[in-house]
Amino acid sequence: MNNKVITLFFLLLSVLITPESSSAASCNSESMNNTCVQIFVNGKTGQALANMVVYLEPLDGQILTRSSKEVVVAQLGKSFTPYLSVSQVNSKVSFVNQDDITHHIYSVDSNNKFSFRIRAGQTNASETFGHVADVAMGCNIHDWMSGYLLIVNTPYFGKTDTQGQVSFNIAQQGKYNVVIWHPQLKNDNNRLSKTASIIANSTFTFTLKNEITTPTTQENEDDFDFLSDY
Amino acid sequence: MINQNIITCCLVVFFLTSSHISTAVELKAHGIVDIRASSTNSLDEGYLVGGQGKFGSNDGQQLSIAQAGVELSAQWENGFSAHGVLNAYLAGLENDEDRAAGITEAYIKYKGLPNASGYRIQIKGGIFYPEISLENNAYAWASKNTLNSSTLNTWLGEEIRVLGSEFKVTRLGRMNNDAFDLSLSATAFINNDPAGALIAWHGWTMSSRQTLWGEAREFPWFPALADGAPLAKQADKSEPFLEIDDNAGYHVRAEWSLHGKGELSAGYYDNKAIPYQEIDGQYGWRTRFYHLGARWRISKSLSLTAQYLSGSTLMQSPLKEDMVNNDYSSGFVSLTYQWQGFFGSEKSGNKKHKSTLRLEDFSVTDNDNTWGDNNNEDGQALTLNHSYRLSKHWFLSAEFNYIDSHRPARYYTYKPADLVEKQLQLAARYFF
Repeated sequence: MNNKVITLFFLLLSVLITPESSSAASCNSESMNNTCVQIFVNGKTGQALANMVVYLEPLDGQILTRSSKEVVVAQLGKSFTPYLSVSQVNSKVSFVNQDDITHHIYSVDSNNKFSFRIRAGQTNASETFGHVADVAMGCNIHDWMSGYLLIVNTPYFGKTDTQGQVSFNIAQQGKYNVVIWHPQLKNDNNRLSKTASIIANSTFTFTLKNEITTPTTQENEDDFDFLSDY
Repeated sequence: MINQNIITCCLVVFFLTSSHISTAVELKAHGIVDIRASSTNSLDEGYLVGGQGKFGSNDGQQLSIAQAGVELSAQWENGFSAHGVLNAYLAGLENDEDRAAGITEAYIKYKGLPNASGYRIQIKGGIFYPEISLENNAYAWASKNTLNSSTLNTWLGEEIRVLGSEFKVTRLGRMNNDAFDLSLSATAFINNDPAGALIAWHGWTMSSRQTLWGEAREFPWFPALADGAPLAKQADKSEPFLEIDDNAGYHVRAEWSLHGKGELSAGYYDNKAIPYQEIDGQYGWRTRFYHLGARWRISKSLSLTAQYLSGSTLMQSPLKEDMVNNDYSSGFVSLTYQWQGFFGSEKSGNKKHKSTLRLEDFSVTDNDNTWGDNNNEDGQALTLNHSYRLSKHWFLSAEFNYIDSHRPARYYTYKPADLVEKQLQLAARYFF
């Protein structure tokens, strides 16, 4: 009986402290000189929104170290995985076909037009993205496939977790433009932004004015494995 | 036959040379092998051997290769592709019931990339099926959920094929913040002038047999074929894929599809054949019909497919008197239920078990007064199929078909006008 009570107590305690500690942990993992910024994104009715892209654009001419993140846009189960990818300008973006069929990936965005066939198991890292852009991608064989690649000019980018939260370690304090992006966000340029002076332990909460339209699932109504692609 | 050999040669040369032209070409071979055991309760002879039975096989038991089909394609980076579909059938080893191999489709296609507004152009030229069937979308035009296609699509597989070019425009909703895609296509074609003869002379049928390009098909005897009778000049087999009058026909189609849900489509076919022209016993049949189709995913495991086709066909004497003037229609509704995830995939098309129920209604109305050629028909059909996915490539299926039809023309060969036919089939289908 006692054991159960103790277990329950620790469980409760862990539930209570988890959100705080996880965000703190992600911030503390970097150098102690860094400033931790936490951003929360909520829906119209206050619910936490996951998988919202958040990025910080420096406005005071801060010199920032380039992001070392290599972005992988996978094609898995005839869908873009993940649906949303973010990369810094001129970073390496790899397209990896993890399906056992060929895909034909393309973008018709005027500044980032590309198109290539990618066979089963192949990787294509030949595309470069030298401009800030929202790149909408499709597959010319499987029309229901839809994915986005956001190219930003900052190393500070990420996506909110299930608590609607994302945090960054900022090397230089100062003025930043905090931007929320999602292709289904009903705002100008699918963005919400706020200019802010970031000091130690800044926290920002964004609440959407309009509900976000749920993205169409990347699923065909007929997904038999041996369909002839007429 | 010469025609077919030339096409085969061209295809082979094409595939051999295409791999050297460009390294960016991708060559693919996909297909199906369908090994089938069937038990048929019908008339002595099925329609494939010129009998009055509505199934492809004769009365009794049969072991067959119901389809050995392969789709060859060469696809380039720039959107061009070349396709060749070959099909072979081997049934009734003892009495040579049905053995054939040849080409069913051969075409070149260009599929562009959509522009920034989401419009995409596709052009196709060669021998192909007008886009109508919602059942035969597996490799080599195999039916995905059943062994026998519906009577509607069995007819398309038998008589409707064109040598033509199709122009298609698709508007993708993804680029327009719409949850639906729209497409419109128009085809101009030749070489489908005798289409209509078989629907008149054996009515609606049910099998998985496709007519090979250049192949001639049998039909039951009727008195108007006798010497001195109105249709004495008609050849004893019909060749659906001939050009008789140098008139081009057309097919138009529109499709609306809601992402992840389903599609609705409608189209119109007219072969524009001159109905009083005849070459070597093959007449032009002015055949035209409209078709409607719906495919809808009711839930993750339940989907509905329905098609309806209705039209007319006219064949006249050199004096422009109606010899065959028929209206016809066929429609089906089918429900497919799938369950138990397989290979970790929750996507519906690849679950382990799949059950299909299909109900059909069909008819032919004879509007002419030609003696000895009654084409009237009225019937219903039921199909129950259960398929089990044994491994990634192997599917085991059991299917029961039931057809209840009224066809007075069966009297001509001393068979009952009212007839119930049943078929039970077991199949092992290998897709690759």
